[in-house]
Amino acid sequence: MLLSLPISPASSGAVLCRNRRSESCTAVIRLAACTDGSLRAPPPVTVINAVRGGAVPRATRSRRFEALLSGTNAAACRPAPRAGEPPPRRGPWPALRAAGRAKMAAGGGRYFCTAGRGLEPFLAREVRARLGATEVDRVSGKVFFSTEAEPGELRKLKSGERLFLLLKKHTPIPVSRNKGKVLHEIKSLVIEEPKYWLDVISIWRNLHGCGGQKDNVSQENPSPLKRKSEEANIATKRQKMEQVRGTMSEECQAEGGERCVVPERKSDQDCWTESKTSLEDPSKSSGEEPIANEQLSFSFRVSCRCSGAIAKILTSQEIGRAVGIALMKQCGWRADLRDADLEIFIHLNDIHSVVGIPLFRLPLANREYIKTAGLRSTIAWAMASLAEISAGAFVLDPMCGLGTILLEAAKEWPEACYWGADISDSQLEGADVNIRTAGLMDKIELLKASVKALPLPSESFDAVISDIPFGKKFKITKDIQLLPDILQEMERVLRVGGTIVLLLSQDLHKCMDGITKHAENDSPNAISDGASETTTAKALNVDGNSSSLVNGIEESFLSSRQTRFGSLVPDGVYEVSLGKTDAFIYKYRKISSAGNQ
Amino acid sequence: MKLLTHNLLSSHVRGLRPGGGFPLQIQASEVRVRPVPFNAAFVARLVPRLRWAALLEAAESLGHPSELPPEPAADYEGDESFLRRVHHILLEVEVLEGVLQCPDSGRRFPISRGIPNMLLSEEEA
Repeated sequence: MLLSLPISPASSGAVLCRNRRSESCTAVIRLAACTDGSLRAPPPVTVINAVRGGAVPRATRSRRFEALLSGTNAAACRPAPRAGEPPPRRGPWPALRAAGRAKMAAGGGRYFCTAGRGLEPFLAREVRARLGATEVDRVSGKVFFSTEAEPGELRKLKSGERLFLLLKKHTPIPVSRNKGKVLHEIKSLVIEEPKYWLDVISIWRNLHGCGGQKDNVSQENPSPLKRKSEEANIATKRQKMEQVRGTMSEECQAEGGERCVVPERKSDQDCWTESKTSLEDPSKSSGEEPIANEQLSFSFRVSCRCSGAIAKILTSQEIGRAVGIALMKQCGWRADLRDADLEIFIHLNDIHSVVGIPLFRLPLANREYIKTAGLRSTIAWAMASLAEISAGAFVLDPMCGLGTILLEAAKEWPEACYWGADISDSQLEGADVNIRTAGLMDKIELLKASVKALPLPSESFDAVISDIPFGKKFKITKDIQLLPDILQEMERVLRVGGTIVLLLSQDLHKCMDGITKHAENDSPNAISDGASETTTAKALNVDGNSSSLVNGIEESFLSSRQTRFGSLVPDGVYEVSLGKTDAFIYKYRKISSAGNQ
Repeated sequence: MKLLTHNLLSSHVRGLRPGGGFPLQIQASEVRVRPVPFNAAFVARLVPRLRWAALLEAAESLGHPSELPPEPAADYEGDESFLRRVHHILLEVEVLEGVLQCPDSGRRFPISRGIPNMLLSEEEA
């Protein structure tokens, strides 16, 4: 069963792993020796022989597991535990060192986190700031990173969708017309000895604080503490999330493995598929090791997402099915689409082939502190992160709706005061409930007021953040009339040096340019709607550098703002995906209050 | 509505003389006192942003005389008992039901379930 795979420098370690079945254990251990660069004596050969024999005594397994766990020389020198003893436990953290075998920084775990389109720069910045992440690699829709942070910290990521432990990252699967061959390549990417998966499961369980239960593979709920507390709060929400995910994020789920719901904005085949292998009889699997007896009640699920060249040859569904069946035969697991113990995610596109396991049952975007979300929490957080909220700041959302932006901001930057205003009683009620649920009543106050006539003094706020809801409710012509009034009031209550961060729909984005055009009558920079739309739509870096908008547009913005709205200077435009449509985050800074009205 | 919010709220009825809409007079029918964790540094940052006279007046009108000086002392930042009194009156006293009245126009804004309704009709704005 010697498999050939393209060997890239990044994956050389992992490729060793997939040689002949009988050598797989050796290879895995060899891998542990080389990935973090440190030199370690591999465990003695006796381990391998014992494994090859079939029966794996507990001690042997423990030793091998210990070897995989060890990320430092010190750990490798530790004497092997006696028979019957579990490996010395150092908390969930050491397990991370063995995770992400394909790529592993010294002393860290490697992860990848999916992100809504446009939010990748925010996520990359966040993992660096929040987790001290290194080797941050940002691609479209994902950020790879290494960190020593614990799961509790990882769970706090705010701008990502789902977080995965990286198991493998390789160059794209070579695509040919021969479906069988391509499937074979994919399977060899994923299929490993059962022991590999046992270790992965143990690592994953360690992450969820279930230490000591490694031997009990048959429990139905691998992460009782963590998951139950989350699910207790949002049990029904999960159902909703599963449905909403199809439209709101780049993921979707197939029902019964037959249909594949593709998010509308995607043109390529980009969908999640669950393995259809629940139809198979799990007891049919053969070639099990005796330890597989423990695994019979263990359930898994394969989710596959593919796009690009490979999607033209195979569907995610076919891949998921093939991999699922192969895993069942290999490991003797049971497939469970609804409530699997372990989920295996495969992402295949033109950039890479990635295999990972999700760290958490629920997406990161699912906030247990938000009862009813309005705007997507990731985008709300990203907007708040642009507003430069410092300690003691006064922050206003003059069209707060259900208060999502205020909730995200107050949670992350609690040393500030937050006010939300809205004209709708029902929205304010919902916001009130949200604020109570989140326990943020001390931080956020609500008003019933109109953004066109704010009952607030001039220059009293440090930041104004808002999701402008127009374009959905009102006609476009009315929008153009209202937007300047709204901006004017926002600018009035903002102090000099303060920031305005707005989320504008596609339609309003065009309106902004319309306002620009109307506001400056004598500027030589004539802007056509077509040109302005494309140029201002560029996503920009988040490091605080000035925007790289085309000069003509920027100047016109600048001058128009100075004429009408005191002095609001653009400080960045970011295009983000809302699922079905795109929207634009605009940031402005007030540089002086001259020329107001 | 906390007194911190009241310290910002003003009436924007059209035609008022400048500053005529502040401070709003409070007529409270239901007031609640709820403890809030004290953070001295946080409160110290709030003090310079407050309209002090309006705060004292509001506290009096609620029947919660604040025992605060007519002006913050120069060294207020280090005076913990002062900061605690500010903290209490600003953040722990809430008007749940009542009315806010514009001093110049007499326009009344109701407070219901802690949320003041500052919406003006088309003619007023």
